[in-house]
Amino acid sequence: MNNPGLRYLGAALIVLVGVWAGLKFHSVRSGEGPVVAVPAGMASAPDPRENSAGDEVPHPVVPAHLPDFSLDDLSGKPTSISSWRGKSLVINFWATWCAPCRREIPLLKTLAADWAGRDLTVVGIAVDHADKVREFAGEFKIDYPVLIGEEDALEAAAKFGMDSPALPFTVFTDRRGEVVALFVGELHRPQADFILSEVQNLNQERIALPEARRAIADGLEAMAEKKAG
Amino acid sequence: MKRSLGAVSVAILVVFGALSLAGTAQSKPWWMRGVDSNQTDFLPPDVAFRVGAQVDGNVVKVRWVIADGYYLYRSKIEVRAESPDLVVAAPQLPPGVLKTDPYLGTQRIYTQQVEAVVPYSRLDAGAHPLQIKVIYQGCAEAGLCYPPITKVLFPAAGPPAGVASEPPYPFESTAIIAGAGAFLLAGLVLRKGRKLDTPA
Repeated sequence: MNNPGLRYLGAALIVLVGVWAGLKFHSVRSGEGPVVAVPAGMASAPDPRENSAGDEVPHPVVPAHLPDFSLDDLSGKPTSISSWRGKSLVINFWATWCAPCRREIPLLKTLAADWAGRDLTVVGIAVDHADKVREFAGEFKIDYPVLIGEEDALEAAAKFGMDSPALPFTVFTDRRGEVVALFVGELHRPQADFILSEVQNLNQERIALPEARRAIADGLEAMAEKKAG
Repeated sequence: MKRSLGAVSVAILVVFGALSLAGTAQSKPWWMRGVDSNQTDFLPPDVAFRVGAQVDGNVVKVRWVIADGYYLYRSKIEVRAESPDLVVAAPQLPPGVLKTDPYLGTQRIYTQQVEAVVPYSRLDAGAHPLQIKVIYQGCAEAGLCYPPITKVLFPAAGPPAGVASEPPYPFESTAIIAGAGAFLLAGLVLRKGRKLDTPA
């Protein structure tokens, strides 16, 4: 290698190999996706394309009045929630795959029977496939009106501020269509009776709406504390 | 004031109470009970079920960390390939525990945490970022279920969490040393036969 030309060529080749190796490793590295710090207990980073809903607190808005929406009933007939205008409503969002929702059905049937003739209607809203709901409604002999939907039922849930709905949840309205309470989770008889007694007080104008809402909040809080205590 | 989920009523009430004015709506995180309360009865789904994935050799390990009082259904866990070159096998899952609900029958569930081991192969040797889609569904013991959750994850390279970590790119240091060595060698080749150009 005494020829200076060959030496330069050799050096250039070595440098080129070095550059190529560097680029190769760089491409492998960038191909592995972004390197993002992850919280303890997590094995990898979340997809950066998604909103990291994680610990952020969404702020859904619960409407003061019953919003309007229309869904198919069990026979496939489009039915508006305003069909029951003038009645107090217990609107129960549920699904057949949800165990606590299934556990609630007997209570809802009992409420519908107990309050029959007193201007109160229980309406089930199944966020589910229609065939599964029909089969289930037959098997469990659901005798109150049930509306069914998939995307459109999710949209109805979103109108109550439940944008990413957890099920079940139940909305209580008075006969004027004011939303009195929105109860998330499995409903039990004492809570249901208590809320409905306040709805009744409201309907009979024994108390005003803000008072009823406050009484329900305080009453349920007290029930929870008693249960916990 | 904090209570365990199981001891708390399943209710979360969003009540407008005295703060509500006619015709206005009350903005409230939905899992909070009452207007003036910071009491949390239910967690948002991404807090109840935290999921991550990690590449470990020729498998992807997907791990869920499940909050106390919450559970995931074994039968509802799915892992699918998301990047075009990726082929994944069915996830290998531990048996879980049996949970019997009179209204839903007996199901296998996971509490606390679960790891799915997913063998994978890639057709293009890594030209695309590795992406998987995970689907899972769970509930709170206190009486609330979340709809199926779908997430796309970029599994990070390296050993699973909890194991002493190694550099994620094991050849990186080799590449740096080799690059430096190449330049040194090139310099030596050029240097050969020359004399130092030092002042007399």
